[in-house]
Order: sequence, then C-alpha cells, then structure tokens
Amino acid sequence: MAARSMLGSLWTTFAGLKLATPCTNLQLQQRIITARLPAVTFQSRGIRQVGFSPKLILIICQIEGQILDVPAGPQPPNPSAKCPIYRWNLQNKYSYTDVLLLSQFIRSDGGMLPRRITGLCPEEHRKIAICVQMAHRAGLLPDHKPKLPEDHVPKRPKPQLNRYLTRWSIDSVKPIYKTGLKWCKRRMAVGHPALKNNVRYGVKPLYMKH
Amino acid sequence: HLEDKSLLVKNTSSWCHCQTSSVSEPCLSLFSNTVKYFNHFIPTISLNTNIWNIFTGDIGDHVVLINTRHIAFSGNKWEQKVYSSHSGYPGGFKQLTAAQMHQKDPKAIVKLAVYGMLPRNLHRRTMMQRLHIFPDDELPDEILANLTEELPQPREIPKKFSEYTQEEIDAFPRLWTPPEDYKMK
Repeated sequence: MAARSMLGSLWTTFAGLKLATPCTNLQLQQRIITARLPAVTFQSRGIRQVGFSPKLILIICQIEGQILDVPAGPQPPNPSAKCPIYRWNLQNKYSYTDVLLLSQFIRSDGGMLPRRITGLCPEEHRKIAICVQMAHRAGLLPDHKPKLPEDHVPKRPKPQLNRYLTRWSIDSVKPIYKTGLKWCKRRMAVGHPALKNNVRYGVKPLYMKH
Repeated sequence: HLEDKSLLVKNTSSWCHCQTSSVSEPCLSLFSNTVKYFNHFIPTISLNTNIWNIFTGDIGDHVVLINTRHIAFSGNKWEQKVYSSHSGYPGGFKQLTAAQMHQKDPKAIVKLAVYGMLPRNLHRRTMMQRLHIFPDDELPDEILANLTEELPQPREIPKKFSEYTQEEIDAFPRLWTPPEDYKMK
C-alpha cells in the first residue's frame, strides 16, 4: 500500500518531465526503490520491491513489483478470535496514551481506518475511535494531521492549551455559566463512558463527572 | 506538548529544626507544572503547605510553582469551567472561562485552585503568601538560591508518537495485516 502510493508519486514526477530535452546526456540506470515497511508482520505477506527501469530515448518508466518474503513476527496469544484486540488480549487495557497501538488503526492524516479493513469488532472500533480522538486533542499524534495547502493562513491564532481526556470537540463546548446547586450540579465531562470497563490498578474509582 | 521540566521542590526543613534555630530560613519547595494535573497535584501542594506552613511566626516552608503557563486541564474544562467574580458595584459581575483567564493571567488558575483547597481559616492567607507561582522557568535569584527539594509530579506525562524511537515502534507487534488489495494507509 505504501509501495503503491510511492509508485503513484513516481509516475507523476516522470510524467511531468519535459521530453524535449536531449537524452544522450542522461545515464540510464536501473534504479530499485524498496518501499519502507515495518520489519515485523506476523504474516509473511512480503514487501513488494519496486523496480524502475527507464527505456531508451524517451523516459518511459516501467515499474516492476516483486513480492519478497518477510520474517513472521510474534504470534498473537489468542489467534482464534476475530477482532485483533481480542486476539492479543488487550480488551480493557488500552487508553488514549497508548499511541503505538492507536497509530496502527489510523490513516496518515489522522482519520480512522474502516472497520471492514481492520477487522475490529464494533465496540472495539468505537473505543479505539474515541481514544484516537482524545489522543489528537491531547496533541499526542502531531504527525498525523491533514495536509493543508501551503498558503493556508489560519483566521484566528489558536491558543495553545494543554488538555487530556477531552470527550467533546473544542469548538462545540459552551461555558457552564450557571453550575447549579449541589443537588442539580452541571458537571464537566472527563474521559468517556465507553472506556468505563478499563482495568484500574489503583483503588480510586473512575470519576467521569468533574 | 510539554517537556517534563516540572520540579516540585519541597522544603525539607522540618518544623522541629526550625524551632531549634533562632531564625528559620525560608526554605523553598519548587513545583514546576509543565503539565499540570489539577485534581492530583493541587491536593499535594495544599497538603504540603498545610503541614509545613501552619506554624505561626516566620516558621514555615515555602512552595514554588513554575511553568504554570503549561498547565493541562482534563476534559473540556478550558471551555466549560467558568471563574466568576463580582466587584461589589452594580453591574460588576464578571464571568471568565478558564481559557480566557489563563490568557489574561497564567498564574491565576493555579492560585485560585490552591486557595480553594486550603482550609478556610485565617492561616489561609499566610499560607498563600508562602506560595510563589511563576508562569515560566525563570526564577528570581533569591528563590533559586534557597531551593531545597523537588516534589514529584502527581501524574506521568504521556509520550507523543514522535517521541518514541524507531526501535520501540518496530518492537510493538502489528495487530492486523491489511488485505492485499487495499489501496493506501
């Protein structure tokens, strides 16, 4: 998948080259570009190797893909389960801080991957989506931002405020001007009720209404 | 996000030492909150001030808080929490959200939080006088010279994805493999 996107970019760069330039000066070399994929995959699906051989006068790119073998990674402790989180027994054990886990289910611009692709069960997909949202708002995924055009200037300077366990989107929340009396207090939400079954190693109960 | 420069330095001078020496030096505790976790850190601060500053006279430890500009609130409190005040004159009711308050004065939120957690007696004001809050890292020399102890952070600061090394990222197993014909990530 990363290979294909790279191939796409290569194709466009070469399509843009002017074919009028004399090609005698160019040295036609075989260039092999290998896609960078993580070394650990627990199925040996193989990395596709991209070969790139320019032909004679006009620069025509011919891209060859070869599937290589990649050593299998660690096996999940519960391989018979359908959902990847149940396969690895991580059901109630992850949180918004586990960025290494969450980053496997997001696109490069920060959006979630579809459930039919990742194979998550519906509840876990929802929980991961919530944790990803909280991680984005906490600023833990700085590189997974959508690409803005280069001349984009933000209308108002955004205040840099640190936050964590934010349930609601920043612009959608209104200030609580009247909090009410003790018996009818309007509380502020922290965390998310979907994660209420998470493992707690301390004595204190989970406290979501501050 | 914030680097963990928080140092909470606490006075180690116990009250008995202070009593034996004729003049007790104001020993200072430093707390830097690059990321401030309100519920947890404020009680520790108030606990320390409570224990050490309760004694009358010039005895008592001081607590220093730095990097208050980089405090973190849980949930949506930056937008939801409202600080109200009334000047006493008609039409003098002011309500500011936490974000507006922080922009106006980065020390105010911490100050109000500690003030609200101290016991509601006459010692509260003297204890507040012994709390020194600084929005950034810079401290005046007198305070820097007298710092003794650093208090621990109540909550760990989570690591950003860019702060993990490539080996750590590779060591984490891939939970799922994409199907063969899926276009791009």
